[in-house]
Amino acid sequence: MSLALTGCGSQAAPSNGGSATKGAINWWSWTPDNDLAAREIAAFNKQYPNIKVTYKKVPIDNYAAVLRPALSSSSGPDVFSVNASGAFSGKTFAAYAYDLTPAMKKLLGADWKSKIDPGSTKAFTINGRLVAQTFGRVGAGMMWINQDIFNKYNLKPPTNMAEWKSLCATFRSKGLGCFREGLSGTAGFVVDTLHSIANNVEPGYWTGALAGKRKWDDPTMVKSLQILGDMAHNGILDKGATGILQYPDVNNAFLSGKVPMVQMGTWYSQYATVSSLTAALAGAGVPAGTKHISIMPTTFPDVAGTGNAVSLFADPDVAQAVNAKSKNRNAAVTFAIWLGSTKPGAEVVANNMDELPVLQGSGPDFTKITLVNKAQQPALVNVIAQLAKANEPRNLGLADQTNQAIINAAQGVVNGTKSAKDGAAGVAAAAASAGQ
Amino acid sequence: MFETRRLRSRIGLQLLLTVLVIPFLFPLIAMVQGSLVGAGWGNYATVLSLPLLPGFFLNSAVIAVSVIAITLVLTLTAAFGFSKLRIVGKEIYFWLLLAALTLPGVVLLAPLFATVTQVGAYNTLWAVILPLAALQVPFTVLLARNFVDGIPNELIEAARVDGAGMIKTFWHVMLPLTRPIIAAILVLVFINSWNEFLLPLLFLQTPDQQTVTLVPQYFVGQYNNDQTKVLAAAVLTGLPVVILYISLQRFFERGLAAGALK
Amino acid sequence: MTTSSPRRASRLKMPNGLPWILPAMIYSVGILYYCILYTGYISTLRWDGTSPLQEQVGAANFVHMLQDPVFWGALAHTAIFFVVTFTVQVALGILFACLLHSKLYLKTLYKVLIFIPVVLATATVAPVFRLIYAPDGALNGVLTAVGLGSLAQPWFSSGTFSLIIVISVQIWQSTGVVFVLYFAAVGQIDPSIIEAARIDGAGDVRIIRSIILPGVQGTTIAIATLSAIGSLKTFDIPFLITGGGPSYATEFLGTLIYRVSISFAQVGYGAALSVVLLVLAIATAVIIRTGGRRVGSSDV
Repeated sequence: MSLALTGCGSQAAPSNGGSATKGAINWWSWTPDNDLAAREIAAFNKQYPNIKVTYKKVPIDNYAAVLRPALSSSSGPDVFSVNASGAFSGKTFAAYAYDLTPAMKKLLGADWKSKIDPGSTKAFTINGRLVAQTFGRVGAGMMWINQDIFNKYNLKPPTNMAEWKSLCATFRSKGLGCFREGLSGTAGFVVDTLHSIANNVEPGYWTGALAGKRKWDDPTMVKSLQILGDMAHNGILDKGATGILQYPDVNNAFLSGKVPMVQMGTWYSQYATVSSLTAALAGAGVPAGTKHISIMPTTFPDVAGTGNAVSLFADPDVAQAVNAKSKNRNAAVTFAIWLGSTKPGAEVVANNMDELPVLQGSGPDFTKITLVNKAQQPALVNVIAQLAKANEPRNLGLADQTNQAIINAAQGVVNGTKSAKDGAAGVAAAAASAGQ
Repeated sequence: MFETRRLRSRIGLQLLLTVLVIPFLFPLIAMVQGSLVGAGWGNYATVLSLPLLPGFFLNSAVIAVSVIAITLVLTLTAAFGFSKLRIVGKEIYFWLLLAALTLPGVVLLAPLFATVTQVGAYNTLWAVILPLAALQVPFTVLLARNFVDGIPNELIEAARVDGAGMIKTFWHVMLPLTRPIIAAILVLVFINSWNEFLLPLLFLQTPDQQTVTLVPQYFVGQYNNDQTKVLAAAVLTGLPVVILYISLQRFFERGLAAGALK
Repeated sequence: MTTSSPRRASRLKMPNGLPWILPAMIYSVGILYYCILYTGYISTLRWDGTSPLQEQVGAANFVHMLQDPVFWGALAHTAIFFVVTFTVQVALGILFACLLHSKLYLKTLYKVLIFIPVVLATATVAPVFRLIYAPDGALNGVLTAVGLGSLAQPWFSSGTFSLIIVISVQIWQSTGVVFVLYFAAVGQIDPSIIEAARIDGAGDVRIIRSIILPGVQGTTIAIATLSAIGSLKTFDIPFLITGGGPSYATEFLGTLIYRVSISFAQVGYGAALSVVLLVLAIATAVIIRTGGRRVGSSDV
């Protein structure tokens, strides 16, 4: 039994892998959405018309469970996406993945590594094998505001806690929400919020904790949780945070203009485009013809009063692995590395604005993107530039269990059921247990 | 039952009943209402325009019919054996079966992961049908045995005196008497197999093999969640079960009650 | 049969029934017991479910379980869940059964409405409940409309309310079954006894307490055991509606097993939890059997 599950990873493919430019392959992932994937596949087919790619989007909560039997069977997907950490990381499924190093050498030359974001290559190199090639990178450590609401009341984004407090008081007096976040569920966007606060308290602490060099119950973590708790009780954070989900609750409220501020990462850039915002509003159940809001990125305020700037932290978000047992392995490899590591592939990914590609020097072509508001373009260009510079990891190395413990600690301090100290101790305990 | 001769008490009871039923109705209304928010009937049009949708309904139907067929055959023969025939150590067998009634589906995941792929059933409807039927049989045998216990032994004996073999007795005497319990099992198993979520999700992978319970997921992504279409899909997939239940309602109630009461 | 003469009995001795039950036994018991044994084996391993590394750790997973507060929390939630769902369902079930045995209008419509929640998949209705209890959802809307706006709150924020919501969804979904069983049981009570009691001046409450309740006792025992097993098996509702949160406040054994084996990739620990779940459930199954017998005897 266990042999059936475990023994097949390193097996040689049944055939020579077939043609590299012809065949039908299946691609599974939890992201992007179907319409974005369709655009990416269409662009791929311009170059490789004879490789038919069928995309299957799997819900993120079930993705690990769905992949396991699929990969141990002989009819699993040819290309499957993995992420950098957690339940469906490249490391978890490394045994099923075909080494992409030779293909990358062939595509970009012997010095291929210099042409790709080094963090991504490092994250997916397991025991010397490149088990997956990143096609999308995301960062967080920033805020998004509804510029229209800010303009309407002639307000500016806050730069510190005091400004933020009075800003929220103003918004609330107008019957609006202020800063809304969804802490319910397992998605863990609050981990990014805490990470941002921690970077403000003490730059570099979080990276140290991820690497195991700093403790999760360190005073910096306690202080960060304390600040999050303060924000829940001083009128900055909207009430009921622990009872709502970031998606769909907060996302719908923000995009339909009910809430002026959210903490979200670079993937939110997509809602500056008319096409993605229209699709999102249709899903939010608002009446057709609802006004498109102009979202605008802004820096995370200096909530700790330390003066430390919060810069973006980034991870490879999604990478393509090729099933070693695939009968169309060579065609699968062609597609897997095309998406993130060729000019046309990187461009279509970048133009979707949800992820940034890892090919150095690539980025969106704004002449092909329709933004809600022309003024958004320089701000988005700035976000992209910051993301390109970001060298601090987002969650890389964080065990799922520890991630869950951080969410629980955040829920506890926001609800007032847990002290910041107990919360941090819980995270440290979970990290110790996960490390066993 | 209750005193309803006076109009006043009758109206009072009718009101009480209505008030108690409202909480049961409320979520159903919320569901239909939610599915019409935003694009209105356009939400249904979007769901219905999924090119693979007819296939999903077909797969769910094939799974349901197969599970019902397997369950009915195994259940009725076993109920006959347990109730009317001589078996050494009968109660031990019965207890073994009942113990399996307690098995939650989530416990089966790890073993099924391994087995389904090993026997090559992965991505075939069998991977869902076989475990699903196995999970139904303990409860349906319990119901059917209780029901068959209520059939007088004399009827079986009389058939035997007339020289009928066991198979003939089963076919001509027992089966016609078990219609209510067959209806109950049919509805019950249909509900369970039509509504099954986890097994199809994990073991049916190509789009043309999937079932209706997976339709809502087309509208949920990592960075979006289209509740209106999810609810429209939910209403559409729920309709067949509701229709089947309403049309078999009388038989179903009688069979379920008779099976569970004795 | 018991009264027939020995000669007749032996002539008509029932044939061996083993071949009749064998298909069901081999198929169902075979598949399910195979899975149980496999789970038992896995529970002694430290294994992530995919890697070739399978380390024998003996009872370590079980020891870890005893020290895991989330496990004990899940057991406590199961107990609360059982007590509340059972009590409310029995009360509602008997009340509905009595009401629908009275001369009232549109009885079939009411019956169908009570039962429709039973036939809908949890996966189908879960998003509806997230909407109803959302901060700007229907429940808060109703509260505000009737002037109780101060009670409106983000329900899923609170662990206690989340557990109450999980319980209420279970009650919504399975009262239909309980009702159908009681409806049949109440129908078997001789109407003349009720009539006689009424002539003696007994009111509705008194009749329910002194005649109906004892009369349906067998059904109540069967429902108690079935819903105890059902409580142990609870998975869909918390998994799809609360995700076990906030902070594990609605974690049940089923959701814990899924979280541990799939998200945390501790397949061995998940299997150990499964074994414990099975032992608890089988202990309850024994009660079903004894409960079932009493149902039989008390209903004659």
